Amino acid sequence: MTATAAQSSGDGVAANPLREGLSSSRIADPCSITFFGATGDLMKRMLMPAMWNLRLEDLLPSNFAIVGFSRTEMTDDEFRADMRDSIDQFSRTGKATEPLWSDFAKRLSYVSGDFDDTACFHKLREALERNDKELGTAGNRLFYLSTPPSIFAKIVDQLEKGGLGPADNPQGWTRIIIEKPFGTDLESARALQAEVQKVFPEKQIYRIDHYLGKEPVQDIMALRFANIIFEPIWNRRYVDSVQITAAETVGVELRGGYYDNAGALRDMIQNHVMNLLALVAMEPPVAADADAIRDEKYKLLRAVRPIESDRISLDAARGQYGRGTINGVPVVAYREEPDVRPDSNTETYAAVQLWIDNWRWADVPFFLRSGKRLARKNSEVAIRFRSLPHRLFGEVGDALDNNVLIMKIQPEEGISLGFNAKVPGPKMHIRSVSMDFNYGSGFGVVSAPAYERLIGDAMRGDATLFTRWDAVETAWQIVMPILDFWQGNPDGDFPNYAAGSQGPAGADRMIEMAGNEWRKL
Amino acid sequence: MAETVNREATVGASLDAITSELSHTGKSTSTLNLVVWIDDPDRRDWIVERAGRLASKHPSFTLILDHTGKRKGDATVSAQGRGDDAQTSAQGERVDIDVAGLDTAAIESYVNALCAAGVPTVLWWSGARVESRPIFEVLLPHAGMLLVDSSGALRDESGIARLVAFHRTHADVVLRDLAWLRIGPWQDMIAGFFDDPALRQELFSIRRLYVASGSASEALYLGGWLATRLGWTATAHEHLIDRSGKPVALVREREGEIRRIQRICLDSETSWYHGEVTANAHVVKVWSEGEKAREPRLFPLRAIDNTSLLERAILESGTDELFEQTLRTLETLLE
Repeated sequence: MTATAAQSSGDGVAANPLREGLSSSRIADPCSITFFGATGDLMKRMLMPAMWNLRLEDLLPSNFAIVGFSRTEMTDDEFRADMRDSIDQFSRTGKATEPLWSDFAKRLSYVSGDFDDTACFHKLREALERNDKELGTAGNRLFYLSTPPSIFAKIVDQLEKGGLGPADNPQGWTRIIIEKPFGTDLESARALQAEVQKVFPEKQIYRIDHYLGKEPVQDIMALRFANIIFEPIWNRRYVDSVQITAAETVGVELRGGYYDNAGALRDMIQNHVMNLLALVAMEPPVAADADAIRDEKYKLLRAVRPIESDRISLDAARGQYGRGTINGVPVVAYREEPDVRPDSNTETYAAVQLWIDNWRWADVPFFLRSGKRLARKNSEVAIRFRSLPHRLFGEVGDALDNNVLIMKIQPEEGISLGFNAKVPGPKMHIRSVSMDFNYGSGFGVVSAPAYERLIGDAMRGDATLFTRWDAVETAWQIVMPILDFWQGNPDGDFPNYAAGSQGPAGADRMIEMAGNEWRKL
Repeated sequence: MAETVNREATVGASLDAITSELSHTGKSTSTLNLVVWIDDPDRRDWIVERAGRLASKHPSFTLILDHTGKRKGDATVSAQGRGDDAQTSAQGERVDIDVAGLDTAAIESYVNALCAAGVPTVLWWSGARVESRPIFEVLLPHAGMLLVDSSGALRDESGIARLVAFHRTHADVVLRDLAWLRIGPWQDMIAGFFDDPALRQELFSIRRLYVASGSASEALYLGGWLATRLGWTATAHEHLIDRSGKPVALVREREGEIRRIQRICLDSETSWYHGEVTANAHVVKVWSEGEKAREPRLFPLRAIDNTSLLERAILESGTDELFEQTLRTLETLLE
């Protein structure tokens, strides 16, 4: 029997039998969603358009409410107008249209207040209770922290003081979505976790990493575990190395202040790239549920060999972009970006070589890299298979490339397999060719943006695509030696790669020493 | 690209010409064979256009078997490239053949020779009713899925009645009916009334279902679906009783455009649950009156255009259990 809203919430009421078997069988319970940081950029660009599109797709429950919470003084109507503007500007489905907008807007309200002021959280509680009575949200509450990370702990604390924690709400469920980064290092992550878990049990905490909501990331599991042909060769016997790339052409844009205190290792490798690593290398889960999958991801991260301090200069590389040209347009150096210190030593590029100490992956190097202002936007996982044991075909000079399986995540979404084929003609010339599958053209459908998927999942209580604390902590443990080393040993060569290039020479040296080379972006 | 092949030649020569032309359409990635049977001249252009839209969006091989006589004895091969860039392009191919006057063996030879191996085949039988005709019996075994529209050109219940009869004797055929897919948003809306735990019990005191629609199939499907989910038993033609043996009236009214539901009302022992298409044909207002009164809300009537329905039909593989159960309920309801 399909799990339905009532079953998932455990509210003791029989499930809605009409939902069973429908495409909407996984509809969420009635609930209120409160967005902290409701006047911020993420809310405008991503979160509110995602809510609107969930509404258009009829993926919100009949009884829902959205509450914005922020410091800015604003009336409900001003908030609604602001949100309509954001939908008009950023929604993938175009401008909000009547009469649906008016119906949607009735369910939007706003609470302004200081995050330090408990009275404001009492006001929020009143607003949520009003929603329960007037909009039928049944006491179910989802809080979304889209504020600067520095006030996550404070909000959680105030939720408890304001009587908004799960313990104060026995008649419904209370969940919290926490944006990344979860902490700025291992110590701060543990401190934040300690604060959050005082109020919320782990099962009600949804640490969001929007990468995990992307369709191709989810398809990594389908590729591995829904096909018989890949899993038998997904191991050290056949795999030579794995490269995980998250390359961007953009700079820090308006996030200079945040980014200058973070850097590529914290901003991308510790979360997005580690999640990809876990999905690519984990063992088959015993079931397709949240706990089983997250158990395997955690086990994989635990198996990553800690980098010894004397290996860091060999197994990790960093870079910072200088001036250069992207798509024919000159761009400034990182140190010239707004809100970035002119003598900043923050890395905008990080590359790491990792080893996984388990039976499947012993001696297979995993190369991870992420950077800004690179030659091309490209996120992918490339599995490079071993060389042939014996060369039977091909003329001298023919390049017999290793087979490569590439899982493309963005901007292209698909799978590509590189293999060798005979060039037509009388001679046995061999050449590498590529077989491509593209999601958009393969299925003729455009996948929904990650935030739509993830918010919908959190409303339904499905934590599969959210990161559990044990994985977050382990990922921090993996990167901490590098962060500490880099902190103590500033790079005097920054900037060391030109914007629009393939990245710093140090990263090339790192991978070349391992007998490999980066795939061209 | 399109090229006309001389159909004065024999089927074999015609096939050679088509195959030759197909070999020049460049690289292709087929994930589906879509075989379309058309025998209604009035709906021919409509069906060809929908099939064309589907073919242009999905990397498929589409074979249009035109039995209307409107093609005037020719065959057309066309290919449509599509994709974001040269690296990710995909291509659908389409062959339109005039099969009026051909015998079933000749028609089958086209299907045998042209459909790609190793990918699913969908037979879109666009005839008004599922007929026990020789050509249908010949084409059906080639298909992994049969796609029909029981209210495609019919306002009365004859289309769905024949489909129910067909299902009784062909339970192994994976079946899709566009009329069933068309009621999806209405099912979601009706289910939405009762997501509120406080209203859940209301489901078990429903005494009447009223549906105003332009054709019978959609109304009957809604009735059959509710019966299936709520344990109602069909005792005779359009007679239902609930689990406690109390009667549930199914009241149907013909109103509005063919293939479209205009309004529904579920009467419980305490309240009335309404859904009604607004002045904007893509938006439905839902509300309840009586003891469990609720303020009106609006719902988008999403993706009920035929191309969207066709897409859903071909993308969802396997048997639709809910649909099959509903068909079985309708067996008695339509007796």
